[in-house]
Parts: sequence; C-alpha cells; structure tokens
Amino acid sequence: MTPISSIQPLISAYGMTPGGSIAPSLPVAPAEQPGALAPAQPTGESFSTMLGKMVADVNGKQISAANAVNNLQAGGDVSLHQAVIAMEEANVSFQLMVEVRNKLLDAYQEIMKMQV
Amino acid sequence: MASVLLNNVRKSRMIDALFNQPDYLAAKKQLDAIALREDAIASNIANLETPGYKRLDVAPAFNSELQRACAARDPQEIASLKPELAVDSKAAAISPDGNTVNLESELLEMNKNSMANTLETQLVTTDFYRLRMAITGKSS
Amino acid sequence: MIDILSGIQSTAAALDAERQRLDIISENLANVNTTHGPDGKPYQRQVVVFESALQQAINGGAAVPTLRVAGIEKDPRPFETVYEPGNPDADSHGMVSMPNVNIHEEMADMISAERAFEANLTVVKNARAMALQVLSIGKH
Repeated sequence: MTPISSIQPLISAYGMTPGGSIAPSLPVAPAEQPGALAPAQPTGESFSTMLGKMVADVNGKQISAANAVNNLQAGGDVSLHQAVIAMEEANVSFQLMVEVRNKLLDAYQEIMKMQV
Repeated sequence: MASVLLNNVRKSRMIDALFNQPDYLAAKKQLDAIALREDAIASNIANLETPGYKRLDVAPAFNSELQRACAARDPQEIASLKPELAVDSKAAAISPDGNTVNLESELLEMNKNSMANTLETQLVTTDFYRLRMAITGKSS
Repeated sequence: MIDILSGIQSTAAALDAERQRLDIISENLANVNTTHGPDGKPYQRQVVVFESALQQAINGGAAVPTLRVAGIEKDPRPFETVYEPGNPDADSHGMVSMPNVNIHEEMADMISAERAFEANLTVVKNARAMALQVLSIGKH
C-alpha cells in the first residue's frame, strides 16, 4: 500500500481534491481503491464540522485501544496482537489529526499575514 | 448507493478509511489465524500421549476463503472472516489408542507458524511506517 | 496477567506430568538392585498412570483434554528369582528375588518422557519468541 493510495480515500472522504484545495462543487472522481468511501457530494460543510468528526473518530480509536488493552490485562479474550495493533492504529490516527491541525493553523496564519 | 455511502461518511467512518485497505486487513486476519494455530499446536504437543486425543488445527476452509476475499479485493469480506479451530480430519492415528499427534510434524508446523508470524508482523509494521511517512513526511 | 499462550495451562500440566514420570523412572533405576527394602521385600517397580482431564476451552471452543497424573501404581509383575546362595537375602534354596525393574524398559520410557518434556518446553519458548515479535509491531 503506497502512502498516496492510503491517503487518497481520506482526502476524498473529506471532500478535498488531491491538490489540497477545497472544491466542494467539483465532482471528485470515484476512488479506484476498494474500501474508499465515495467522494462527498458538495456538502457545504465547514471546517469545524469536519474537524469535529475527525476528533470524534480519533477519540473512538483511542477508546477502543484502551478497552483492548484493559481486556488483555484482565485476561480476557483479546489476543496480544489485536491490542498492539489497536494501539498503533490509535497512534497513527492521532498523528493524522495533529498534522491536519498544524496545516490548518499554517494556512490560517498565511491568510492573516496577507495585506488587505 | 451514494446516499448510503454519504451516510457512512456522516457516521464518522472517515479514519477507518485509512485502515480499510485489503492487504492490511488480510495481514491482521492472518495474525488472528496464527495465534489460533499456536494454541492448537500447544494443545497437540501437550496431549502427545493422551489416549484417544485427535489433533486440532485451524479449519482448512479459512485459507481458501481468505485467498478468495483477497483476490476480490473486498475489505468487508476480508474483515468478516473468522478463523476457527477444528479437529484435523486428515490426521491418521499414530498410536493404537487413537492419538493422532505426530511430534515431528507438530514441531514442523510450529516452525512454519513462527515464520508466518514474523512475516505478518513485518508487513503490518511496514504498513504503519508508510502511513506515518505519508502523514508526517518524516521517517521516524 | 497476560498469557503468552492461551493454552499455557495444558502445556504446564503436560510438563508437570512428564516430570513426575521422569522422577519415578529415576527411582526405579536407582533401585534396580534393591533386594531388601524397608518392608523387607524387594523393590517393586512403580508406574505413573496418566489420565485425560478436560481443560478450559481454547478461545471459546469445546473443552480440550489435558494430561494429568492419575496416580502412581506398583507394577504387579512377579519378581525374578536368581540363584545367589551367598546373598544375605537368599531364601532356604539360595534364590534371591530381584526387583521387577527392567533397565532397557526404563531407559526407553525415559527417552520418551524426555522427548515429550522437551517438546513442551519448546512450545513455551516459541510462544515467548512470537509474543516478543508481536510486541515489536510498529517499532522501526
């Protein structure tokens, strides 16, 4: 799985074109990768809604990772690799969220610097 | 169809798209099967001399189902597979009391399982490494 | 606590059972010439009797049998008598009853017990190695 192909579905899902610009009115080409969600139709969603959803997703991942580890430690039926992989997935999701936040902050500051 | 998928987007399945890749899901399923087989082999060796014990293994249907699902590149199908333990019907009785465990072949299976574990854990590690690279642009 | 192997109980039981068998075999070998024990009679060979006990299921499947020592019994085979008139334990005809321990039989038993013991140890070592590999997922 190449880095680009793994990010592509995410980009499509958030209604962004691969170039990075938000163009909700342009129909994004259906992703070829199986498992990718269909490109969002013009949603008119604001950044805050998208970010809110992303935070909820990441939180969900963290919670299921914590549950898996607790179950493992209590001697439950979660196996070692399931707990380890759940933790890694939660970490990667969190990193994605942090990077998105950084880029958005950079973009905002870039805009604020512009002379009116 | 589009509205169903849009609903999925609204139901916060977006981060899941990162991990919804067939190869990654297949590696995770293999790890499930490997853990199960490890238990079966341990039980077989522990019962080497138990009269009438029949050796256990992962049900052979799992391998063919996984191959088919991978060929179809369908993440839902791959994720829905469930490897299970079953009595190995092809094992012949080794001792007069009906015990079907052959120590040498169990040790061989254990080695193969160990190699498979090394392979699948490396595949998963590489997947995470690439994801991190794509997200942060840095290699560590 | 975390189990490195969910079937570790049956491996532990098998290790215990085989170790007991090895202990009994050494006792037999040590007493191969004991014509006069604390009860005045020649040493009678002891045999470990295994039984199959049902163990906790592997991953929710059916209960799995495991090895257990049911008890230690005396071998009822008759003593061999040897003509040795000079022996203090000789009876009126000069015949001495020797313990019913056959060295070759004991050695064969010992080899098979050791083989089973080592195999179960290998299972534990292997499970540990695989668990360490799994723990290193994601670390580069």
